[in-house]
Amino acid sequence: MEKVGIVGFNQVKLYSDANYGRYEMIFEAVRGAIDKAGLKKKDITTVISCTNDYYDGRTISNCWTVEVGGGYLADESKCEMDGAHAVLYGLMRILSGNHKLAVIWGGSMPSCYPYHSARLYETDPTWERPLGYVNDITAGGFQMRAYMEKFGVSKEEIARIAVKNRKNAAKNPLALAESQNANITVQDVLNSDVYSDPVTELMVAQPCDGVAALLLAPERQALKITDNPVWITGVGYSQDTYYLGERDLSVSKSMEIASKTALNAAGIKNPKNEIDVAELFEAYAHEELIFTEALGLAEKGKAASFNSEINGELAINPSGGAIGGNPPCATGLIRIIEAAKQLRGEANGYQVKGAKKAIASGQIGMCAQNNILFVLEGNV
Amino acid sequence: MTEKEKVIVSNKGLVRAEFNFWVGRYMDKFYDGLEQKKLIGNKCSKCGAVFCPPRSVCGKCNENLPLDQNWVDLPETGTLQNYTITHYKVADRRTRTVKDPQLIAMVQIDGTNTAIVNRLLNMTPEEIKIGIKVRVDWSEKTTGAPSDINGFIKV
Repeated sequence: MEKVGIVGFNQVKLYSDANYGRYEMIFEAVRGAIDKAGLKKKDITTVISCTNDYYDGRTISNCWTVEVGGGYLADESKCEMDGAHAVLYGLMRILSGNHKLAVIWGGSMPSCYPYHSARLYETDPTWERPLGYVNDITAGGFQMRAYMEKFGVSKEEIARIAVKNRKNAAKNPLALAESQNANITVQDVLNSDVYSDPVTELMVAQPCDGVAALLLAPERQALKITDNPVWITGVGYSQDTYYLGERDLSVSKSMEIASKTALNAAGIKNPKNEIDVAELFEAYAHEELIFTEALGLAEKGKAASFNSEINGELAINPSGGAIGGNPPCATGLIRIIEAAKQLRGEANGYQVKGAKKAIASGQIGMCAQNNILFVLEGNV
Repeated sequence: MTEKEKVIVSNKGLVRAEFNFWVGRYMDKFYDGLEQKKLIGNKCSKCGAVFCPPRSVCGKCNENLPLDQNWVDLPETGTLQNYTITHYKVADRRTRTVKDPQLIAMVQIDGTNTAIVNRLLNMTPEEIKIGIKVRVDWSEKTTGAPSDINGFIKV
């Protein structure tokens, strides 16, 4: 694969109820990324927007984000999945050979709409939706219980992931304030309100307001823009079946396939030894464990004993991950940005020492039906 | 800016765009079965998987399940595969909670390879165990709709 580099990025501070409009937020993210990279509007040759019509409350919602997203009279189109999928779309635009700079932005503002109702629109309208028993809340409970039952993992072991990510989020100034819990304990997580048993509120990646933007350029252009590009060396993705009752929720087959494809492309044989940092989109604490296993970093059912602290065997979600703030359509994009920050040595306060190679993932659907994984390398 | 100073425009919608989904030929048959308090499914002739509700295509094999073949009459009993308990009603989590939490289960109907999701009725959380046998509790008056299955009860 021809080398494509991340040449800039920007993320707004995450809020549970932001005091500014979503269009201001998009402009802050995109214009901020362009300014930081020392570029101008005229340098943008393609824009990939990532939003969701239901979350925006209008159809073809990118028709109104043209100006703020840098798309005015530019080549612009939209990806209606996770921001990480939008990065794949941007990558393909660059690899077409027709573009010198791609802006990829994603985000949403769930303080303006009933998030869980919007997600109910994911379900089968002719069978599940009229009853409402299958929804994104119950799906989280089913997935955690399936994982615990299959492998005998305890609630405490899963709560430890929420503690780690919330403590990490406390070091990340852009994380959601409600998730920046420097002194949280496993007991606090277990004693928080039941979300969907066995999942408790503090195990959930809370949907919040936020937008992020990323810039991609082909190798030659990338090296002109910055001395410190981050290269995309592999990408893989996979879609599992829709019906929850047909899937083994204790594992993530789609992440297994996505990671095999991505690691293969990047020539990585032993991710545990070769990867220095991982930023994974975990919608719940237990998903981080399921993904750790799907990535081959731990045996099935054993991820809880894998040391994923910032100074551990392999740091997972040093930024706090999605539990540190989960702005729909931006969360996976933020994972890629956080991984790039690590490789550029810019993760002040939560930097993994000497990080050279990273992985970052995005997901969409109930119980992470679809997963996408990127392998990134610093410019050495 | 305080919350009080924020100007909020709440759009209840000038346009009503409600969908009337046709359930399709396969689910038509399924709902006809529910109306008579019967569960039916269909079988992939390649891999042998039995689906309830029925499918027109087996995703794994990428094969069509012909409309006039391989229908299977199913019992109303099944095995509890998974469950969750929640106070939240979906519409708006912040405001819509129920006093008695809902017990939601995945049940694999005997003779099928997939599970369906519905309520558990007349059970306390302590009574629920993965692997127990349950059966369909039918609505008194069935209409050929998802609500014909009231939930599942212990056998």
